[in-house]
Amino acid sequence: MTERLVVGVDIGNSTTEACVAAVSGESVDYLGTALTHTTGVKGTPHNTDGAVAAVRRALRRAGRSEAEVETVLLNEATPVISGLAMETISETVITESTMIGHNPTTPGGVGLGVGTTVAIDALAGASGPTIAVVGPAWDFDDVAAEIDAAADRGLEVVAAVLAHDDAVLVVNRLRRSIPVVDEVGAVEKVPLGMRAAVEVAPPGRTIRTLSDSYGLASVFELDPDQTRQVSPVARALTGNRSAVVVRTPSGDVTDRRIPVGTLTLSGAGKSLQVDVDAGAEAIMEVLGRVQPLDDATGEPGTHVGGMLAQVRDTMTDVTGQPAAEIRIRDVLAVDTFVPKEVRGGLAGEVAPENAVALAAMVRTSRSRMQVVADEVAAALGCRAAIGGVEGEMAVRGALTTPGTAVPIAVLDLGGGSTDAALLDRDGVSSAVHVAGAGELVTKLIGSELALDDRDQAEAVKRHPLAKVEGFFHIRHEDGTVQFFTEPLPSHVFARVVTMTPEGPVPVATRHSVDHVRRVRREAKRKVFAVNAVRALRQVAPGGSLRMLDFVVLLGGSALDFEIPDLIADALAGFGVVCGIGNVHGSEGPRNAVASGLVDAYVTGPR
Amino acid sequence: MSATEVPAVVVLVAGPVEVAVLREVRAGAEEEGVPTSVVAHDGPDQHADATALAHTGALRSPLDTGIGLDAAGGVAVHHATLPLDRPVRVLTPGADPAHLRLAGRTAARIVKVLPL
Repeated sequence: MTERLVVGVDIGNSTTEACVAAVSGESVDYLGTALTHTTGVKGTPHNTDGAVAAVRRALRRAGRSEAEVETVLLNEATPVISGLAMETISETVITESTMIGHNPTTPGGVGLGVGTTVAIDALAGASGPTIAVVGPAWDFDDVAAEIDAAADRGLEVVAAVLAHDDAVLVVNRLRRSIPVVDEVGAVEKVPLGMRAAVEVAPPGRTIRTLSDSYGLASVFELDPDQTRQVSPVARALTGNRSAVVVRTPSGDVTDRRIPVGTLTLSGAGKSLQVDVDAGAEAIMEVLGRVQPLDDATGEPGTHVGGMLAQVRDTMTDVTGQPAAEIRIRDVLAVDTFVPKEVRGGLAGEVAPENAVALAAMVRTSRSRMQVVADEVAAALGCRAAIGGVEGEMAVRGALTTPGTAVPIAVLDLGGGSTDAALLDRDGVSSAVHVAGAGELVTKLIGSELALDDRDQAEAVKRHPLAKVEGFFHIRHEDGTVQFFTEPLPSHVFARVVTMTPEGPVPVATRHSVDHVRRVRREAKRKVFAVNAVRALRQVAPGGSLRMLDFVVLLGGSALDFEIPDLIADALAGFGVVCGIGNVHGSEGPRNAVASGLVDAYVTGPR
Repeated sequence: MSATEVPAVVVLVAGPVEVAVLREVRAGAEEEGVPTSVVAHDGPDQHADATALAHTGALRSPLDTGIGLDAAGGVAVHHATLPLDRPVRVLTPGADPAHLRLAGRTAARIVKVLPL
């Protein structure tokens, strides 16, 4: 029987997979697979380059030439485009320089000093309890000498605030130790002649007085109204080892909510509004009441309005469809927090602000996959056709996983969307796409840890963490210690690192391994565990997960070291068998669609 | 043989060294709360460079950490467990006070196992 060479190509949101097979009669022999980045937005002619590259690479792996290819099969992808946006809904503002709470690593002295702020070169004219304020031009020896000299004259210097990282040096040179806070970048903005308090806790402790509302009231002799006003200061300083509070006549720290706008969700014959600053839970609850969603719009002139308009604009650019025709078919809202520099801070204080991240998904009516097929055919000089619908092909591929049977549900954990498809006993299949997947996880990790580049956030998502504990050993996040015979580079010394295949790479954070790990796992859980349940509910008979027998995880994120476990945990209560796909018993969770296309081509419609 | 009674980072100095340089380097360690002990290099090799001095200092430090200041004005930080040719930090002669401070701070942070 003659052998024909068939290549299945799956164009996904982030990756394009190709799978080469030799077909003779009904028998299929899989020869090689390859993976490339998807070029352009899925479902657009830009995909051609990536598809051709994937086919060529797979052929090279299989040891075959382009001339031998008979047919290339593409998936009919529902063009799903996801947009991401994040808006902070709270803001901490310090007015009139009331506090310094940047928590320098090495403050000096211990205790609480309450007095009037005086510039160090004006100590001669001061009287009463005094807090010395020292600018960047001063050397530590001179600061100590000046304070000691003032003390000799009978002035009571109770504390100091320094521009440089000199607190310990100054305190070591003083005859009598006082609490000193250093590294105050904008020391010139500390108001002079005002009553202030400086507190430094012993190592391993946190401040007790300035982080307590009544502590502040006692220090500054406040009445109940004023106490209420300063309570945000106390909250902002909680957990610090050192702090400075200056009592200015109208100074304040406010914690205000920013109006983000309302989101209008329409579907099921209803149109409901929800305030975005009500948080993710409220948004998802309203979304649940308008399923299936027809469209989502944001209030014009607000953050959410701009955000959704941007998603629509991108979609218009890509598909050529007018913005008015584009419908947002799903939304995933996730509560998060973003560390932001405090407005009005004197030392680069950072406060965690609440934020809502939104992933929106758009579906277009027109797929341009046929154009891609024509261009692929021209580039490779062979026949190219659309071999089947993505969801059905994925199920077909997933069914080749050992130990599975119909009814079977697949969860394709992609970059832009999480897709679910179901094949029931009657051979009927259905599929859904929900917004939010790997890209959103990366974004959440990046913003919660304040990492400035996406690659670092991606590395935290993909690889387990470790702490470099010495020049020759690291402690992995599970506690295992690994020894190296070659010294580790000094730029990773004592750092939290991601264990990439190329070795440990430092994460730019002051947080502990435990904190980074918690952020990473929570981001994955908030997106994938939530979406797994959401997507499966939409394909499960009667919306009941208990009606599902087998759930197979596919897609790039199914290869993640912990996402499958998080999803299995989320589904554990429903009595389903959930595991990672192993297409053809050897391919793992990759290539389900590509090889499903080949299978469908050979055996015809199921 | 230990060059110091109290646990300290050994600062090994060859030849005449500017007072200001030594002061800034030691201040960097002191601000981190780690003591330093200055030792004059009395070995046969009076032309040893900062890296070699730092390594020798590290071997003589109860904290396994050394700083070397050579006659040319170079500064290096080293750890006793590291190979001689793998110093943790090296400053070329004429470094500004902030970098000199950083050298002392680096030595102290090796001892405290904090990011350098």
